Amino acid sequence: MEAFNNLMYGFGIALEPINIAYVFFGVFAGTIIGMLPGLGPISALALMIPITFAMEPSSGLILMAGVYYGAIFGGSTSSILLNAPGVAGTVATSFDGYPMAKQGMAGKALAIAAYASFIGGTISVVFLMLVAPLLSKVAVSFGPAEYFALMVLGLTAVVSLSDKSLVKGLIAAVVGVMISIMGIDLQTGTERFTFGSAHLLDGIDFLVVALGIFALAEVFYMLLRGGGGKEQPRNAIGSLKLSRGEVKQIAGPIGRSSVLGFFTGVLPGAGATIGSFLGYSMEKRLAKDGDTFGQGNIKGVAAPEAANNAACTGSFVPLLTLGVPGSGTTAVLLGALLVMGVTPGPMMLEQRPDVFWGVIASMYIGNIFLLVLNLPLIPLIARILDLPRPLLLSLILIFCMIGVYGMSFSIFDLLLLLGFGLLGLGMRLFGFPAAPLILALILGNIMEESMRRALQISGGDWMTFIDKPISLGLLVVALLSLGLPLVKKAWIMARAQRA
Amino acid sequence: MTRLNTNQILALILALVALAYLAMAWQIPAFPLPRPIDSELFPKVLGLSLLGLSVALFLEKPKAQDIPDQLDPEEQAKPLWMRPWSRVVITAIAIAAYALLLVPVGFVLASTLLGVGLSAYYGYRRHGVNVAVILGVVLALYLTMTRIMDVYLPTGVLPF
Repeated sequence: MEAFNNLMYGFGIALEPINIAYVFFGVFAGTIIGMLPGLGPISALALMIPITFAMEPSSGLILMAGVYYGAIFGGSTSSILLNAPGVAGTVATSFDGYPMAKQGMAGKALAIAAYASFIGGTISVVFLMLVAPLLSKVAVSFGPAEYFALMVLGLTAVVSLSDKSLVKGLIAAVVGVMISIMGIDLQTGTERFTFGSAHLLDGIDFLVVALGIFALAEVFYMLLRGGGGKEQPRNAIGSLKLSRGEVKQIAGPIGRSSVLGFFTGVLPGAGATIGSFLGYSMEKRLAKDGDTFGQGNIKGVAAPEAANNAACTGSFVPLLTLGVPGSGTTAVLLGALLVMGVTPGPMMLEQRPDVFWGVIASMYIGNIFLLVLNLPLIPLIARILDLPRPLLLSLILIFCMIGVYGMSFSIFDLLLLLGFGLLGLGMRLFGFPAAPLILALILGNIMEESMRRALQISGGDWMTFIDKPISLGLLVVALLSLGLPLVKKAWIMARAQRA
Repeated sequence: MTRLNTNQILALILALVALAYLAMAWQIPAFPLPRPIDSELFPKVLGLSLLGLSVALFLEKPKAQDIPDQLDPEEQAKPLWMRPWSRVVITAIAIAAYALLLVPVGFVLASTLLGVGLSAYYGYRRHGVNVAVILGVVLALYLTMTRIMDVYLPTGVLPF
């Protein structure tokens, strides 16, 4: 009953006309940005931060959440029509979505993606509503030692679950923490790594790094890969209608993948990409016609689409209840919240119920918008994909510039943006994952603060991190998560030998 | 002499960065009052971690994803200023110029010049559409930021 009352309170906020407009705008903008090949939810969210800067925190987060799941859905459109996923979380959608499009069933695939996203999103919001307050109650008892351990786990999980080198992931994370601690140390007033520059006394704004490493680096990468005007022909949309038999076929996969996706999203480091792959492979195994997966099976579109949207919602659980993001995308969301003056965490439910329940309620509305917007408008929205690449690249550049300058009014930050863009390009070329860097950038300061507070309380005794059972447990899991890629490698080698 | 692979070259660069970082970390002044943990400890841990990871990277064999893909030979055969890396360098120079000219020239003019110029440079030949789209977007952003969100953007040489 309490959850119902809280949800009604949330609807009171989410149904304010201005917030409805923000959800609509967020979902719409997210769908369009996510659709553009190369631009994922992180770039979409980073580009939106300057807009949310002056907003009420609840409205700002409502808009950002809309952008997030809109971008995930938008990615599926380019996956299906172009076989060029705009977002990693929709790669699995292209396995069957693109073959369907080639068979003249793009409309059907897009409609399945819209229904699956809607149902996946809606089921997972119910779970979010039920799980988040429970976890908040547990997290209230967390002290600085537990928080430090939790952040270490968040970082190691993101590193170990990335498909790139473990060592390179850890390097990216260390560099992210290094960037985060630049500026004046708030506990002692000591300057660290400012190189005598007054511009660096407050450290480096995370928006500069996020836009540089993701959006600008993507522009540079597209330029290197012949971004000068090669357009890819897209498949025609065709009919959006589904038969009753097809609805029956996809109902099971959508339901199962929604639940799986949500719990995958809750786990630190997992999220939409892993959720969608798990959903896809689970359905492939369960289906009687599993051998037709990859050739345009409708279940192969429904499962990853339900899972990725559900995982998106699931990733809000650690962010809202613990204040610790489990992925690069939610790290950017956390950064945006901090800019708006809201610190997520277990106390948020007590201190800012408007933000907490407002966002949850807005997700129900956002999912409806996602369906209403995408079903009738998809043939129209898909025309965005015809936008000439040179114009698109120039527009992204302008958005990056105004995003940074509009926040800091600093020419120095524009030059830093360029530097991070080049760094991001280098990271991409040489196989360094960017998500650990951005997550570490957001967590670095808080991590150091938690570590120092824990040591202050224990009088400098490092055993404090091991004496507390929760902290010890989290650190052990963090250590085990680093061993995961080695286990995976050994398993693949053993399988290869057996074959 | 054996040639260093990509990971080894990167590892050496990172090791140098780590050493420089550690040197700076050791120069962070101590807080006058005794504390269990001071400002310099965390940076020292980070510097040492990066150094250790550089060693690990040096020993790691590069995989296909660690080596940049070959560039399209067709793109490489273009005139020097249109080649892939030239496009990156010229875009970077344009961004730096934009940053330096933003205040004196103004947001609308500088952004339009940047957008239109780069689109044309990347190969977009419908100049009328180019100017109309970029100017439209820039003006929409400018008016939204200045009139609705009360964010000041430099006017430069234009009167508004």
